[in-house]
Amino acid sequence: MTEQAPILIVVIPLICALLTPLVGWLRKSFCYPWVILSLAISTICSLLVLNTVIHQGVIHYYLGGWLPPWGIEYVVDHLNALMLVLVSGSALLVAIYSKKSLEQEIPDKIVYFYTVFLLQVTGFLGIVITGDLFNLYVFLEVASLAGYALIAIGEDGAELASFRYVVLGTVGACFYLLAVGYLYIVTGSLNMADLSRILPELYGSRVVLVAFAFFLVGIALKMALFPLHVWLPDAYTKAPSTASLLLAPLMTKVAIYVMIRIMFTVFKPHFSIELLPVTQIMLWIGIIAIFAGAIMALAQVDFKRMLCYIIVAEVGYMVGGIGVANAVAIKGAILHIMNDVVMTLGLFAVAGIISYKMRHHNLSDFSGLFKKMPFTMAALVTVALSIVGVPPTCGFFSKWYLIQGAIMAGSWVFVVALLFSSLINVILFFRIFEIGYYSFNETDEAHGHGHGESAVINEAPLSMLIPTCIVAALIILIGLYNQPILVNIIQFAVPKL
Amino acid sequence: MKFLSFIVTVLTGAVLIYGTLDMPDWGDPNSPASRHVSPRYITKTEVETATPNMVTSVLADYRGYDTLGETTVIFTAGVSCILLLRRRKNKG
Amino acid sequence: MEFIVAKYNYWIYIILMMIGFYAMIAKKNLIKKIIGMNIFQTAIILFFVSTAYKKGATLPILTNADAHGEHAIAVAQYLNPLPHVLMLTAIVVMVATLGVALAIAIMIYRRYGTLNEDEILKAIK
Repeated sequence: MTEQAPILIVVIPLICALLTPLVGWLRKSFCYPWVILSLAISTICSLLVLNTVIHQGVIHYYLGGWLPPWGIEYVVDHLNALMLVLVSGSALLVAIYSKKSLEQEIPDKIVYFYTVFLLQVTGFLGIVITGDLFNLYVFLEVASLAGYALIAIGEDGAELASFRYVVLGTVGACFYLLAVGYLYIVTGSLNMADLSRILPELYGSRVVLVAFAFFLVGIALKMALFPLHVWLPDAYTKAPSTASLLLAPLMTKVAIYVMIRIMFTVFKPHFSIELLPVTQIMLWIGIIAIFAGAIMALAQVDFKRMLCYIIVAEVGYMVGGIGVANAVAIKGAILHIMNDVVMTLGLFAVAGIISYKMRHHNLSDFSGLFKKMPFTMAALVTVALSIVGVPPTCGFFSKWYLIQGAIMAGSWVFVVALLFSSLINVILFFRIFEIGYYSFNETDEAHGHGHGESAVINEAPLSMLIPTCIVAALIILIGLYNQPILVNIIQFAVPKL
Repeated sequence: MKFLSFIVTVLTGAVLIYGTLDMPDWGDPNSPASRHVSPRYITKTEVETATPNMVTSVLADYRGYDTLGETTVIFTAGVSCILLLRRRKNKG
Repeated sequence: MEFIVAKYNYWIYIILMMIGFYAMIAKKNLIKKIIGMNIFQTAIILFFVSTAYKKGATLPILTNADAHGEHAIAVAQYLNPLPHVLMLTAIVVMVATLGVALAIAIMIYRRYGTLNEDEILKAIK
């Protein structure tokens, strides 16, 4: 049974997505447990696969029994397995969180929302697990189409934001398809392992060079790398809370995973680092992304929009970390993928709770929340400390490895950018803590202490609060246990340079 | 803005055409794509899949999983259109 | 001259792609952007399919003689089936994206009454 686990991870959410309209037709309230059940099975399968990979090494699964390159294969190595657990686990937490938020924001579309939600998760899982380039394109389009729909049903202005995302996202996917086509024309194969075997003798060819460029530009559009990030702030701010909670942590990190695959598995590190100056360019783009994201985040009065610019800066960390191109920095970048998924989940979960209680998500909505919502604010404090990079939260360790790698490579500008970004994050979050600690509400002052609502705890509903607290606990746990994770999983995921 | 888009378009086209300079000629029967993976599809299609139509055998058998992905894409688009466009009739 | 004849299939499709790409990013009307997206994706599909051609080859369907295994199948006699297969999937993806883009355009029209990006941005502010 466990040998079928790789395919079950993708197929179970897919079949459950196909059946969700039926379940919703029977009774609407069955959809919520149905979604949680399917994602729980998928998470258990991905944990089984991670366990197998740790103990037995890389898993190869041949779909239909045909050997590659004539058939499609699934290749699960350490990087893959980690991403699978992250994607399915995050989706499960979002599913648990989603109930109250959806009932408030889009009460008449719940059944089809859950269908598109499961299809989105299927798309992400399919992208992460596959070993075939064209199969990746198909699942990339599944994830993209689901994302366009999930964003467009949000608040005012969400439709135009989604339309702009459609245009830019299609450009990105088409560039990826062009690159796959160019590689196919000169090699005849679509399988990643096969290409890595055939391509080294073709590294001087112009076709391969152009293909590599188009891969990176197409994926950069999907991962919102500065300056191709323009679709991200509008799209994730105006989407419904649950949709941005699912998309924000995962979409950009899955795109970064695809970039690592292409740069280090399909094209050998020799090509990506030594033959072309790509990593120098990536380092500088990462540095500019960090500065731009941090400065633009300072200018925002809308909490969710500020978080979107923090995401742009975090993508800059990871791309810059890969651009530094030594083993320590890439280890830090991969650890940061894991940390960023958890941290972004936490941030957007808090934003969703604020949206639920206050109906807006501006910075001024935080006033007095330390008294009214102590658990939510405690979670926010934990996530904020992790984004700044305070031990023992997980954010400290990934920043530590990135800075160490940058110092070893002599990229002092990157070190300055990382420290500057930490400083800006301190300002951003302590501004919120100040608003949260003192309530600026006039009615509270008029009624005095003990009267009115200022002393009453008006906490978020349990279905939204528990995932948020789980995420906060995970941030501390990953920080405390980062050494076992690094030694057992991430160390093998770093490509041999 | 339109000038910038024009520059980007011309640049992209130029890079793509630069890439085609090393490609195999049109209609070349000895191109890498015709020599590596597809000969097995052509020679073994009757033996392994009992289908004389090679496109069908690749679509439904050798790369059948891509076809499943394709049907998922169609389903996603259909459900997305329902999610986006359906309006509840106002009661009363 | 021979050089152009050898590669002209790639070049005409790249020019078609760039026409579609320009329409996608430079035009302000949403429907023109969608049409540009369609032209871009169709040109990519035609580009791929043109690489499947072999001089003097026929369709990738086995003739009666070859199907009954009377003699060895000449690979150069049949077109390469793999790009055709990949492009069948790509056509489906293109149609699906077109559908979702048009649905979003309908939503925008219902909400704002216009399909011009500049006017919509003014209406949102």
